[in-house]
Amino acid sequence: MPAATLTAGAAWQGRSLRPLLLALATLLMLTLIGLPMLAILLYALFPQINEWSLAAPFSALLPNLMDAQLIGATLNSLSLSLGVTLLSCILALPLAFRRAQMSTRQGRLWDALLLVPFLIPPYIGALSWMQLLQVNGFSEQLLGFNLAGFLYSFPGIVTVMALHLFPMIYFATSKAFAVIGNRYGDVARVFGGSPLQIFARIHLPMVLPTLLSSGLIVFVLTIEEFGTPEILGSRFGFRVIVTAIHEKFSDWPIDLPGASVLSLILILLAFFAYRLHQRLARRFSSAVENQSLAAPARPVSTAQRLIDLLLFGSAVTLAVLLPLLTIGVSALLDTLSGGLSLDNMSLRHLGGLFVRDGAAWAAISTSLTLALLAALGSVAIAILVAFTVVRLRTRGTALLDFLSILPNAIPGMAVAVGLILTWNQPFWPATPYNTPAILLVAYICLTLPYPIRMLTAALKQLPRSLDDAAYISGAGELRVILRILTPLLAPVALAAGFIVFAIASRELVSSLMLAPPGVETVATYVFHQFDQGSINAGMAMSLVTILVSGSIIVLGQRLPGSRQPEGKTQ
Amino acid sequence: MKQFVAALAVGLVLATPTFAAEPLVVYSAGPASLSSALAKAFEAKTGTPVEMFESTAGKIMARYQAEKSNPHADVMISASWGHALTLDEAGELLPYTSPNAAQVPAALKSDRYVAQGAAALSIAYNPKSGLPAPQHWADLTHPSYKGQVTMPDPAKSGSALTLVQGLVAQDSANAWTLFSQLAANDLLVPGANKAALNPVLQGAKGVVFGAVDYIIIGAKAKGESIEVVYPSEGTVLAPRPVMILKSSRHAETAKQFVDFLLSDQGQQLVAEEYILPARTDVPAKRPGWNELAIIDFDAKQAAEQATATKAKFASVIAK
Repeated sequence: MPAATLTAGAAWQGRSLRPLLLALATLLMLTLIGLPMLAILLYALFPQINEWSLAAPFSALLPNLMDAQLIGATLNSLSLSLGVTLLSCILALPLAFRRAQMSTRQGRLWDALLLVPFLIPPYIGALSWMQLLQVNGFSEQLLGFNLAGFLYSFPGIVTVMALHLFPMIYFATSKAFAVIGNRYGDVARVFGGSPLQIFARIHLPMVLPTLLSSGLIVFVLTIEEFGTPEILGSRFGFRVIVTAIHEKFSDWPIDLPGASVLSLILILLAFFAYRLHQRLARRFSSAVENQSLAAPARPVSTAQRLIDLLLFGSAVTLAVLLPLLTIGVSALLDTLSGGLSLDNMSLRHLGGLFVRDGAAWAAISTSLTLALLAALGSVAIAILVAFTVVRLRTRGTALLDFLSILPNAIPGMAVAVGLILTWNQPFWPATPYNTPAILLVAYICLTLPYPIRMLTAALKQLPRSLDDAAYISGAGELRVILRILTPLLAPVALAAGFIVFAIASRELVSSLMLAPPGVETVATYVFHQFDQGSINAGMAMSLVTILVSGSIIVLGQRLPGSRQPEGKTQ
Repeated sequence: MKQFVAALAVGLVLATPTFAAEPLVVYSAGPASLSSALAKAFEAKTGTPVEMFESTAGKIMARYQAEKSNPHADVMISASWGHALTLDEAGELLPYTSPNAAQVPAALKSDRYVAQGAAALSIAYNPKSGLPAPQHWADLTHPSYKGQVTMPDPAKSGSALTLVQGLVAQDSANAWTLFSQLAANDLLVPGANKAALNPVLQGAKGVVFGAVDYIIIGAKAKGESIEVVYPSEGTVLAPRPVMILKSSRHAETAKQFVDFLLSDQGQQLVAEEYILPARTDVPAKRPGWNELAIIDFDAKQAAEQATATKAKFASVIAK
């Protein structure tokens, strides 16, 4: 304590960056997310704001909210999101727990495999489940049974979506388990705790903040997701709010104010989910003092190894291998009606991707560049925002925090409209609109929630005493962020970066709307190439994206930061 | 040294802004192969580059609407006739009648917009399904098709909406009975056009009620097992409207572009996609104008009742 008093002056000086960092974080968040969200809000209230006019205020509200089916759709959205979040937690927790006990090498393999779902666009995933399980689907052609009855039901949708989204929770919580380390468990074991007791009484409460915050993301993502409910839900009359929003975008008449009004419902739902998450998080908050990042490896018994293999094996089979195989086989089928047979195999769709000279490669390099920049930008901004929200705790940071989940709560189409309304105004001296930069802005806006959630959760676990020690030794904010927190957060930041990269490299909906004339990304290229074509072509595109982005991610995993979670302080 | 000076001169010439024509900005709904072929051909012919924004009909409209305070598009080619009616109603279209539009049927043009081509709505069935070949819309209410028929959702597909409007305009009572009988026969309404077609190609279902014909003809040409049928009692067209926007800053070039779309060359490119060319004197690569029985109805009047029609359809199907 005397030391603290002695250097208090220096520490205070070192902290003079505080307002600046807060201002920078706020400015970035407001520009990237706040403005487009404000535009959507204004569009809902003033249906002619697109012509820069405040005429006919509030006229779009009532007609859209009076829809009798809306209540049912809202309830469906809620129950779907709750179901998917719960199932995702149940799937992810045991895997994440075991992952933290594994050797780096073995764990890295499973991590790489479980990143694949992020690379699969949800609608392609849903289509592949349909292709696999429907009447006369692959399972019926090969094994003589179909699961159409299950697939087109509430439990079916929940399962398909949870299999797609649970890796989000897995990545966040496995990092949290790793941060806790094995010591607490070891202590409990010495005192005779059973494995289940140790898990339920020690580890689970400690990762609860992370579980809650990644669960929030899954909840919000489910509310926003369009592909799966549209493809599977329309089979048994299951309508959610996003389905209703998309009808206003789909063909004619186009009703942008109406879509904005319905988006408000989603924003409200996200807000309530966020509040609930905050209350729960406050009740169960935990910080790990005295953590050991480098958990001393314990010898793993053969039985345990077998159980792990079974656990991860079945998860990977369901969430990765089955969809991937279906996508791969579909991409190789010449015609849809030809079914599974050798003489229906062809490289036509894969070859078709590369017929327009150079354009395919241009699209691939555009997508990869944008995805890489989006990953770097998103993670850098997220580190700043996480620091501001968790460590500064000044007024207004809660707003920043809430703002940071909004892009996930609203359909990509609505976000794209918000971005056009924001950036297509003549009064900006310079604008990214109508240049490829608008895609980067869109990707960062759409993906920021992931790194922000993951990093704030991880930062909450890092004890403040680390910062305090640095401040006392005379370090400033920047130094603390760059030299202490960033290296400690590196594994989480890298994992978040991969997720952003994966999602940005395949993003379709907002790209279709925002790409300037003549610029194509992988997703829009293939969408255009096979506009009226068969879904096999879409499957071929997904396969290529998964292979290209997937191999970049595997290479990226060999970066030093991910291998050494203890982080060198140089 | 000489070489250096020459290189410098060439460099200077290249660096001076050339007074090339400003690009024409076109927003076009798919097929993208058609849009890019048209853009290239127009540029080759006139020297004016075309900046083509290609997307779905819904997305080009959404982009145009969102851009209104600072518009960029000069010409729009939509796949939904309703878009032309809406924009015309709002007074956002520039009046222009192309001299090349003389051979376009009166129903497919006005002083402010004109069709580039049209699709016809059809029954599409998979011969592998083992079902009897259907000939009429009402055939699909027969028990032998029970649980085998899909239809694009009029709420998500403009062409399916046109079909409902057309059949209702032809004989209202008859049409609604037809739809409720289809519903009783377990009609599946899974989403937009592709969502209705895919299960039929994959063999999970057998027939599409209201398929966009040129997509089926294209799929068949690629080897899919699928046949197209035009019921003799009549079907409807889903025309693709071409519009010049009042906000266009290149109105003269835009008019040239519309002339080009309706020229022999432009219309032949349309025919290549198995779409019915708007001009009746340009040969189609699929059943042409004189081979189709088209239901004649007032599209404008139908558009005014579109919301009610969609709601009624949804309630009839839900039963």
